[in-house]
Amino acid sequence: MSSQAELDKLIRSDYEAGFVSAIESDTLPPGLNEDVVRFISQKKGEPEWLLEWRLEAYRKWQAMRLPAWAHIKHPPLDFNEVSYYSAPKSMADGPKSLDEVDPELLRTYEKLGIPLHEQEMLAGVAVDAVFDSVSVGTTFRAKLLEAGVIFCPISEAVHEYPELVKKYLGSVVPQGDNFYAALNSAVFSDGSFVYIPKGVRCPMELSTYFRINEAKTGQFERTLIVADEGSYVSYLEGCTAPVRDENQLHAAVVELVALPGAQIKYSTVQNWYPGDAEGKGGIYNFVTKRGVCHDNAKISWTQVETGSAITWKYPSVVLRGDNAVGEFYSVALTRNKQQADTGTKMIHLGKNTRSTIISKGISAGGSSNAYRGLVRISPRAENARNFTQCDSLLLGDQCGAHTFPYIESRNPSAMVEHEATTSKVSDDQLFLCRSRGIDPEKAVSMIVNGFCKEVFKELPMEFAVEAGKLLEVSLEGAVG
Amino acid sequence: MSATAQEPLNVQLKQQALALARAGLREDALQSVRRDALALLEHTEFPDKRTEQWKYTSLQALTAGHLTRVARGNGASLPAPLATHRLVLINGHYQPALSQLPDSITLTRFDGSRALAAETASDTLRTPFAWLNNATLTDGLQLDIADNTVVDAPVEVLLLATDDAPSHCQTRLRVQLGHHSRATVIERYAATGPVLTNAVTELVAGAGSQLTHYRLQAESPESLHIGTLIIAPGRDSNVHSCQLMQGNVLRRNDVRAIMAESGASLALNGIFVGRGNSHIDNQITVEHRVPHCHSEQLFKGMAGDTAKLVFNGRIHIFEGAKGTNAELSNKNLLLTPGAEVDTKPELEIYNDDVKCSHGTTCGQLDAQSLFYLRSRGIDAAEAKRMLGFGFVNELLGALPDQAVAEWARPWLEQALTEAEPAK
Repeated sequence: MSSQAELDKLIRSDYEAGFVSAIESDTLPPGLNEDVVRFISQKKGEPEWLLEWRLEAYRKWQAMRLPAWAHIKHPPLDFNEVSYYSAPKSMADGPKSLDEVDPELLRTYEKLGIPLHEQEMLAGVAVDAVFDSVSVGTTFRAKLLEAGVIFCPISEAVHEYPELVKKYLGSVVPQGDNFYAALNSAVFSDGSFVYIPKGVRCPMELSTYFRINEAKTGQFERTLIVADEGSYVSYLEGCTAPVRDENQLHAAVVELVALPGAQIKYSTVQNWYPGDAEGKGGIYNFVTKRGVCHDNAKISWTQVETGSAITWKYPSVVLRGDNAVGEFYSVALTRNKQQADTGTKMIHLGKNTRSTIISKGISAGGSSNAYRGLVRISPRAENARNFTQCDSLLLGDQCGAHTFPYIESRNPSAMVEHEATTSKVSDDQLFLCRSRGIDPEKAVSMIVNGFCKEVFKELPMEFAVEAGKLLEVSLEGAVG
Repeated sequence: MSATAQEPLNVQLKQQALALARAGLREDALQSVRRDALALLEHTEFPDKRTEQWKYTSLQALTAGHLTRVARGNGASLPAPLATHRLVLINGHYQPALSQLPDSITLTRFDGSRALAAETASDTLRTPFAWLNNATLTDGLQLDIADNTVVDAPVEVLLLATDDAPSHCQTRLRVQLGHHSRATVIERYAATGPVLTNAVTELVAGAGSQLTHYRLQAESPESLHIGTLIIAPGRDSNVHSCQLMQGNVLRRNDVRAIMAESGASLALNGIFVGRGNSHIDNQITVEHRVPHCHSEQLFKGMAGDTAKLVFNGRIHIFEGAKGTNAELSNKNLLLTPGAEVDTKPELEIYNDDVKCSHGTTCGQLDAQSLFYLRSRGIDAAEAKRMLGFGFVNELLGALPDQAVAEWARPWLEQALTEAEPAK
């Protein structure tokens, strides 16, 4: 029966052979089927095993239903309206100089204190003379290679380090993990691959920032970080300035593997276009992030989420080994019509595993901000320990703040604690600031910054400064 | 019929419920209530594992066919009364001969002889089991307490379910407290045999009234209980509800408190103890619909042996419910390695002028305290019981009614003993 169905599919796909010309071009027409998956794989010159892997993911995805449990509302997504492959925009299409860039965007950059040449790059101006991202990238790469660290696009890693990619790709987030992860597995465009060898402390903080042009090409990026025994890496992700992106759907997958004794610190500042005040446009951000911690390893997620029309994101840690440690620090700010449903999962499998969750949600305007988390203690996780704190701050009476923490404990020696509070900005604090001559907007921004401090201190320094400023910019007009 | 057995359990249950509801249709003053409920049942699926609110609770025990047989009784004797005034229902049917009612309370039976203005509409009930209760409504009690009345002594309502075979009974209770009145109601469930009690209880407190409510659920281990409790506090009223429950094959409590009148204050507490392979699932929702209401919840659970405790506490603050103060605390102890606790405190808030918090913990008895007690010559089991008492003492000590407090201590003692795994 199933072979008959397969046959039918093949017959049909032959019948719809409208892709001959498309293969020649750089952008696929909207729609998703096996041919599209094959096209992407072929375009990237991928080996047979990876194509099979993608196709398996695609078949699993077809059998899945769109998840409906999150506290978000959006019009039904049509996955056949999306184009799944588009070559990087050539520099010729972009604005020729800063004069052609939206002045409002430039003002924002200025407030964030971004240097001029970086402003040009972020706005997509062709700036090879001033700021050659390619050469900058290569300089750092040489220095990293000296330490034995591999840091390259995943499409390159597939060719250069096939054993590593084959071994770890999908080992943390399998193809059929969830709807969006399956979609990503089938059509992922590119992403980063990092490998830190045994006992190596990565000499610098790695960042997708260096490869921002490449990162921008895909709505479906895939990141894989493997930290071998006893190594350490700090990875920064995201853009520190608003990127005007026409793309509607963004479904990324991030996989972290911390082998025994390794430490991975993953920091994100996400500020995709959140849509306008009426909630028109903006990115739908559906991201699957997960790490596996082996014995004595540690994974720490830190995120500052201020952008996207919809954020659906649960960076998780599977504490597989004994004495493993998982951390999650999050600030999520929503305003206007933004919706966030974000949180984490801490799966305690090993003995003496520990996890900490600190989540700060700030909702303003008519937005909705939800924390959703799971702490699971398996029967053999002796002496596991979890502490969770979720605080919500409400600015305005039209917004919503929600908390959905799932706690499943199956070991009596484990300790799990969860606390959550919801409140508005205290009048006393505001009054104090105002009596010292601080205007209301600045005062609220100060108080919000204080509210988030616990998370900001986990961010690398430059990031923390920018995150604070970003919050300030995002809060503009949200008060009063 | 063999084809039916192949169907998934939730489909079977729906068919059984529909059969019961259709058989229960009759022309009397309550017919519209039954019809509405039947219509809802027809259009709703019974829960299975994929239903979010039933994620941790399986209805597998109902494959024994509880809904296909009505409990007939097995002549079990009544437990000793807790109060001078006691009303008795056996398998959902009122027993006037065994009951004694104080003068200050008017009693009405849901027997269809007259329409009651106050029947709760099915859409307030929300779950298929509660609709089934409405659809088969042929007996049950409404207690009316007039305005400006103080009922001095507590009133006990004993709801006994007995049968020797898997069967079910539907129980219904409604307490309507007039404005500026005061009363204490003890809702007490008892069961012998593998009977499923499908209970619906409504508490309606008038403006400025004070209602103290106890829900004692110490049914036999082989029994099942699926219950819905609706609480509607009136303007500036004060409702205090305390639930004591022990695990059995399946215990599911859906509690919905609707704070729809300003100034109301609600305290909702509970102690639940799991024994053997028992299951307790508490689903509590407090809805703050209007400004200036106050709610406080404290639930403490202890899971022994291979028991499973589920707790879901949701606080929902509606837009415009300014000045709300809502708190929820759920603390759990896992007493044995085979036990499980699944808890989820939820906040859903649509207003900034609120003070809300929830907290939950899950842990074990303190090893040092145990050691201390043992070093004083107290054996391990006794020491565990003592610490278990210490864990819930803030709730036990706060029980305002003497008779209930006296009942609760030996009950808890026994519950904790039963929570120890069989050697």
